[in-house]
Amino acid sequence: MKKYILMPLLAVFALTAAAQDFDTDPTLELENAEKEVKFTVGARMMADAAYYNSDFTPLQSGASITDARIRTSMTYKDWYFYADFGFGGGKFAQKNIFLQYSHLDNNDNTHAIKLGYYNDPAGSMARNTSLGSYHFISRPGSTNALGEGRELGVSYKFNSNRFMAYQGVFTENAYNKIEAGFNGMTVAGRYLFRPIVDETQTLHIGANVRFAHMGGGVVTNNVLKKTLHLGQALETYVDEDDQFVSCELPWINNVFDAGAELLYHNDRFFVRGEYLYKHTTKKRDSNTLWEASNNNIDTWGSYDWWLAANPLRNDNFHGCYVEAGFMIFGNPYHYNMQEGILGGLDGKALEIVARYNYTSLNDVNKGEYYAIGRDQYYPNGYMEDWPYASSSVGGGKANSYTIGLNYSFNRYVLCMVDYTYHRLQKDFLPYDRNMHVAQARVQFTF
Amino acid sequence: MFKNLVRVGLLSTVMLAAFTSCEDEQQFTNENTDARRIEVSVLPDNLAKVRDYVPLYAVAAHRGSIFWTPEETEASWRWAREMGADYLESDMQATKDGIVLANHDENLKRTTNIQYVFSDYVPTTRKDFYRSFRNADGSQHFTEADIEAQYQRDVNDFRTFYTMSYYYAELLMLDAGSWFNNSSLEEARPGFAASHNGYYRDGKIVYSDGQYVSAIQDQIAFAEGKKLRRNADGERILTYKIKDKYANMTLEQIYNSEHKTVKCDDPNVSYSYAAKYMDFVEYDFANAYVDDEQDTGNRPGIYIEFKESWLNPKDMEVRVYNVLAEQGWNIITKPESEKRFYINGKVNVGNTNGKVILQTFSFDALHRAYDVFKGQMPMCFLLWISEPPYATDIAFDTPTGYADFIRYGQEYGAHIMGPAISGAPNNYPEMNQPWQAYMIRKSQMLNHPYSFDSYAQMAKYMGYYVDYYGQGNTTMFDDLLRLTIPATPYTNFTGSNSVPVYLDGYFTNRSEISLQYMIENGFRCNGALPDPFHPGQTYDNSQAPSKVPDPKALLTRLGY
Repeated sequence: MKKYILMPLLAVFALTAAAQDFDTDPTLELENAEKEVKFTVGARMMADAAYYNSDFTPLQSGASITDARIRTSMTYKDWYFYADFGFGGGKFAQKNIFLQYSHLDNNDNTHAIKLGYYNDPAGSMARNTSLGSYHFISRPGSTNALGEGRELGVSYKFNSNRFMAYQGVFTENAYNKIEAGFNGMTVAGRYLFRPIVDETQTLHIGANVRFAHMGGGVVTNNVLKKTLHLGQALETYVDEDDQFVSCELPWINNVFDAGAELLYHNDRFFVRGEYLYKHTTKKRDSNTLWEASNNNIDTWGSYDWWLAANPLRNDNFHGCYVEAGFMIFGNPYHYNMQEGILGGLDGKALEIVARYNYTSLNDVNKGEYYAIGRDQYYPNGYMEDWPYASSSVGGGKANSYTIGLNYSFNRYVLCMVDYTYHRLQKDFLPYDRNMHVAQARVQFTF
Repeated sequence: MFKNLVRVGLLSTVMLAAFTSCEDEQQFTNENTDARRIEVSVLPDNLAKVRDYVPLYAVAAHRGSIFWTPEETEASWRWAREMGADYLESDMQATKDGIVLANHDENLKRTTNIQYVFSDYVPTTRKDFYRSFRNADGSQHFTEADIEAQYQRDVNDFRTFYTMSYYYAELLMLDAGSWFNNSSLEEARPGFAASHNGYYRDGKIVYSDGQYVSAIQDQIAFAEGKKLRRNADGERILTYKIKDKYANMTLEQIYNSEHKTVKCDDPNVSYSYAAKYMDFVEYDFANAYVDDEQDTGNRPGIYIEFKESWLNPKDMEVRVYNVLAEQGWNIITKPESEKRFYINGKVNVGNTNGKVILQTFSFDALHRAYDVFKGQMPMCFLLWISEPPYATDIAFDTPTGYADFIRYGQEYGAHIMGPAISGAPNNYPEMNQPWQAYMIRKSQMLNHPYSFDSYAQMAKYMGYYVDYYGQGNTTMFDDLLRLTIPATPYTNFTGSNSVPVYLDGYFTNRSEISLQYMIENGFRCNGALPDPFHPGQTYDNSQAPSKVPDPKALLTRLGY
């Protein structure tokens, strides 16, 4: 009888164990088979040291506890609850917290409904992979700039050997802490096809789409102004300065993301990559703003003139990366079927990895003049006292090349060393062309 | 276990070594270091040639003087000329009839009694002004209906207290001196105030009898050693008539006529101006001045600023070009052969190719001035910063931002950078720190900071404090900014003095302090100054006036 109770439980555990931010099994497990409950506690710590060499603008080299977390989970029959909390950087932060109901059907397909605060399915493959099991010290810059992280929502995931369809509805802010407007709404989905799945290798190709209507903003002159910040640090956590590749997009309305991904691994080798595209639309109450501008003799004369002088246009941004790794020794690479991601090192291992990343937050109109002294684009090709506003975005561009070496002492302790060369191009920072980042991490997970 | 510990230890050691080996790396954004290592565009040869039209260590009397006199008036510029300043400085705005007027503020409230004379509406004398135009037989030129219709258009176009809304003749009805007496009690003088404001009588506009707002023609006349022609009652004599091309037009036709100003020596360059500018009045400036009996022979140049573009018509730069040509002060149409800035103890800048320096904060004005003047007349690109940044401000006065403005200035024909300086009483933002002066010098442009009010400021920007306790202190910008000044009979040191110098000329409200400092510290009246723009050569200003008049006694001598 006991056997009949335990077997379904084990099956559910197998489903749920991966549905969390850490993909390593927790060490401390409390199980009450009679009440069909399993409780786990785990923790993680990452200590990074980094040395930066820049052409011009310095980054602060040094060391930092970049991540420290405690995680807990509870499983009861088909139900799974997970929460983890971060203390990295000396600040408490809520990370994932969700409840999931899973069901294994007669065809061995899984169906899972998840509710809570967790990674957006379309946030990119990299963002859906726990940093603790990533093969680099940082995720690719493009996924930080253009991908998405955790959101509050509900999702449904279908998973079979060949297919995964993971989609959900989310809001943009977990606590509804917005000054004005509403909490926005996002519909996102990630879809994978696995032409090759066997014990030694996996090939998956996939795509993701995401539509977000931005809801929250601030009120100026009785107009709701919603702004989106995009940016990436230089693939490091010791100094997370994102000024080299970042931008602010005022009057944001909708955001449409689309991406494509590919992952292949065998026992000793993996390669994976993604392409990310972000399209943003703008909207504002122009008439009210125009009326508010008519408060002195320096009026625009007519609404049409005001509109001509304050154009709005949609923006397009792109990013991509390719990562590869070779296992010199250690347990084979393994694929997490439930999440559609590559797992981390497991046990004593040594691997060498390499990555190329491209991020562009530049969307500049041809023929415009850019003045560094004013950080402003001028549509007519030269500086003017009261120019028409430019719709150009000069967030910057990065081509980043990384090589790394990861050594895992055992399943709990991992050392990583990465060197990254960034080739930067941002109009506002013309002297910051080359940036070198050498960094190391010691990670402890249980 | 031991092996693992050794591995972690080795890794830590390698990383520690990496950090400690990078001590030479810049640990923080350092303006001084960055100013030295970034690229600064260098003034091209054609602009460098024009730069050399300007005397080294030029003293520009800021609005004449805002300390001793009502600014930008006859009193202020006569005083500055007699003090021995190299330039009479002013701000240019166009009146409704297109006269280039000197006025600093965006309106005329502070420096005239306009709000008491005209209130805040179209002057009640406006119709009288139109009636004052007479035909040869004495009859009124414009009809009452035409005048009434134009008055309504004037009402529509009116901008209270702005220069652009008033005819020049109307502005001569104002008292431009009494405000100074009321605001500067210690320096007030009866001679600055008018005894009456202007008025309309017997078909004529009668001007006030004190200090007036000045036209650029006035400023040039004062620089040439003249003063205003006045009648026995002390009222200015300046007649006006309708320009010949408008002689047969109604006001409505003038309003609707083509509004375009063509560059006098190049018909391909022209700019249009708004209909509200009624450029139909011709003033008889040729007979508006007399020789100033108090003139002692100094011939300063003029340093004129194109104000923000929204205060002026788009033809402002062509207009100024043409006025300078009409007055014989346009070195492009009439180059000067005289090269001596000082002769026999007198200022002679006004007779050289350096007689006019243009200046502006405005990007529009800089752009248009380049189109008109082609970089052939000295131009100063002024710098200001505020939070939030204003339309013409530099927003980031970092070394990168500073270099960007220097490059842009050069691209549009500027030869001089004009940064603000700190210090009481203006308390402007500091934009001429040593690293900034260094970058300007590196660009081979002149550095004309503004504006000086004290001895302490002179000492600060001419390196005096660096060696306050003796010789031998060094600065990180000595390679370009340190100069060795040989003593003169007038210096307060003997032998030579080695100091870093953070300017090449400047705007001052206290010409007496500035000139005295320059003379005592060897920057003026010196035949062997090192020339920072021509290394190895010397610069000679030994013929400059060596005695600075007492400012108060001078005002008394001038009749105020």
